[in-house]
Amino acid sequence: MLKIKNLHASVEDTKILKGLNLEVKSGEVHAIMGPNGSGKSTLASVIAGREDYDVTDGEINFQGTDLGELGPEERAREGIFLAFQYPVEIPGVSTTNFMKTAVNQIRESKGEKPLDAVAFLKLMKEKMKLVNIRQDLLSRSINDGFSGGEKKRNEIFQMAMLNPKLSILDETDSGLDIDALKIVSNGVNALKSKENATVVVTHYQRLLDYIVPDFVHVLIDGKIVKSGDKNLALELEEKGYDWIKPGN
Amino acid sequence: MNITKDLKKLVSKEEDINLKNKKTDILDSLDLTYSLQKEEYKYTPLLKIVDKKFDLLKENKDQISQKSYEEVAKFVNSKFYLISVDGYFKSELSNIPPKVKIKKYSELEREEKDTFENMYQKHDDSKSDFFSSLNSIIHEDCLTISVDSNTVLKEHITIININENYDVNNYRKMIFCDKGSEISIFERFINLKSDENFSSSVSEIYQAENSKLNYYSAQDFKENYHYNSINVFQKRDSVSNFFTMSFSGSIVRNNLNICLHDKSCYTNMYGFYAMNDKSLIDNHTSVDHVDENSLSNEHYKGIMGGRSNGVFNGKIFVRKKAQKTNAFQSNNNIILSDKSKVNTKPQLEIWADDVKCSHGCTVGQMDDDAIFYLMSRGISRKDSISLLLSAFSSEIIEKITDEKMKSLLTELIKKQLEKFNDE
Ligand SMILES: Nc1ncnc2c1ncn2[C@@H]1O[C@H](COP(=O)(O)OP(=O)(O)O)[C@@H](O)[C@H]1O
Ligand SMILES: [Mg+2]
Repeated sequence: MLKIKNLHASVEDTKILKGLNLEVKSGEVHAIMGPNGSGKSTLASVIAGREDYDVTDGEINFQGTDLGELGPEERAREGIFLAFQYPVEIPGVSTTNFMKTAVNQIRESKGEKPLDAVAFLKLMKEKMKLVNIRQDLLSRSINDGFSGGEKKRNEIFQMAMLNPKLSILDETDSGLDIDALKIVSNGVNALKSKENATVVVTHYQRLLDYIVPDFVHVLIDGKIVKSGDKNLALELEEKGYDWIKPGN
Repeated sequence: MNITKDLKKLVSKEEDINLKNKKTDILDSLDLTYSLQKEEYKYTPLLKIVDKKFDLLKENKDQISQKSYEEVAKFVNSKFYLISVDGYFKSELSNIPPKVKIKKYSELEREEKDTFENMYQKHDDSKSDFFSSLNSIIHEDCLTISVDSNTVLKEHITIININENYDVNNYRKMIFCDKGSEISIFERFINLKSDENFSSSVSEIYQAENSKLNYYSAQDFKENYHYNSINVFQKRDSVSNFFTMSFSGSIVRNNLNICLHDKSCYTNMYGFYAMNDKSLIDNHTSVDHVDENSLSNEHYKGIMGGRSNGVFNGKIFVRKKAQKTNAFQSNNNIILSDKSKVNTKPQLEIWADDVKCSHGCTVGQMDDDAIFYLMSRGISRKDSISLLLSAFSSEIIEKITDEKMKSLLTELIKKQLEKFNDE
């Protein structure tokens, strides 16, 4: 599904990703772990198509398409979803209106008719249940004045609404108490299928008790330096990152 | 100044002795008024340009309107409307609401005249702004609107000013809101003339105790020049709400001067401007807190595209007697192109000590994080930007409680924001 080869990316001449390789197949859950500042969010943003980052070398291929020339909205329409580490607050636009615009633009790009008000409402109701989010929260401005947990639940709600093929969850666990963590993880697990894939970015092992990964990768200084199964996460939890030296 | 002589001639022709005295008075301080222009029009070369382009002193004739009415009909969206053409009020084209007296100044009965004589040119800025001086001296016949005490009009009155035959038009009106009355006004200017023109409009509003006024204006002047001065004098427990929306114009200058003369007066001054091309919008506001316990709340927001220029100047005065004053002011701007500019300046003078006062201005660009966030959900760049711009305007629109006015102005803003799509 996703093939990243020798990816180099920089921002304002600072090199952040330095030759990163990753392959994700449908049905799989991958976890990317690594210390602060190692480039995890950068990787997530580059896959989603953020234009502030220059891809200086390598390529990202998604379902046979080179993403290189595609803008963020086209990638989303191809089925890529990024749950933001820091969801943006947008006063004056309600999540409901936001999602209606998004769902219908994605449908339009596929030559489908837009959802009418009734069908949209029905879809919303169904997905709201999944992450236990209230209607009044969605009528409010996007993330404006939301608690940390509400913001993260809103991200998973949006993911459920858009039904992506590849979801990248950037630190979706940070700032969540154990109950919220369970709600969010249950949501993600419920959306999992053989046809889609999930990449979980985190620096705590805790989340991986709930969203169990097939593969765990360690990202240090812009490169994946070690990969393994879920036991690698436990090992990292115990020993930290210092024992893994880039190049080992 | 070479025009002083011509103005003197105009004043000497004035037959109403009372008006003549007032006009002479304005004339006498014209040099001083003129000298104030330099600072008050630092970024807005309105006088220089209109003086070169137009004959500011030419007198208009009150003509029978030929084509106005049909074209104007589409701008009328209320039961009651007042239409003026080339600066002259046309009762035959208007639909006057009950319990509201609407007349030209020259048609007033003796006892009605007292009210307006007392307020006429008393609280306006004809001695501090040269354009208001000119308007005061030149204009022919003022429109007077008098709202009886305790009259409450639910539906707004549309005021339409039409530039039809001349390239310079002066509008003038006085509104007297008696005790406990409540009205809403939606004012628009329409150009039926294809050539460039300059219009000036001066309004004086007197709000008696407990009265309430909502005043909406939508300004779409295309390639034209406009000067607008609204001067409000509020008595105890009165409330005024202003919504000033500007969408185009070569140069548009708005003065909004509010005097909260008594205890417990409220005013909300909201503004929204969205300009492109080479237009210039200048909003100069002042609010004068004279007595205790009053509130002024001002928020102007603007979006500048193309090569447009914006000017905002907000003065707040809190007099010594005006304890427990609340005065808030903010001005936020989004600049869409590196060729557009905004100059924004708050000016506070506070002599009382028990005062809550805040002010702030921002000039920024579109939020890239927000654009990326919206696009990452499949929304095109163009639509992401229009969502964000309409969200920016919604903070002002949300303040409108009248649903009809809200949807009218939302529609106008929407149309204007679509023009930014190509940038
Ligand atoms: N827009 C940016 N401008 C400048 N530096 C950036 C930007 N984004 C990320 N960085 C830098 O790149 C490095 C990696 O950041 P990030 O990808 O956020 O790491 P992580 O998510 O692993 O904590 C950090 O040193 C960060 O300061
Ligand atoms: Mg990060």
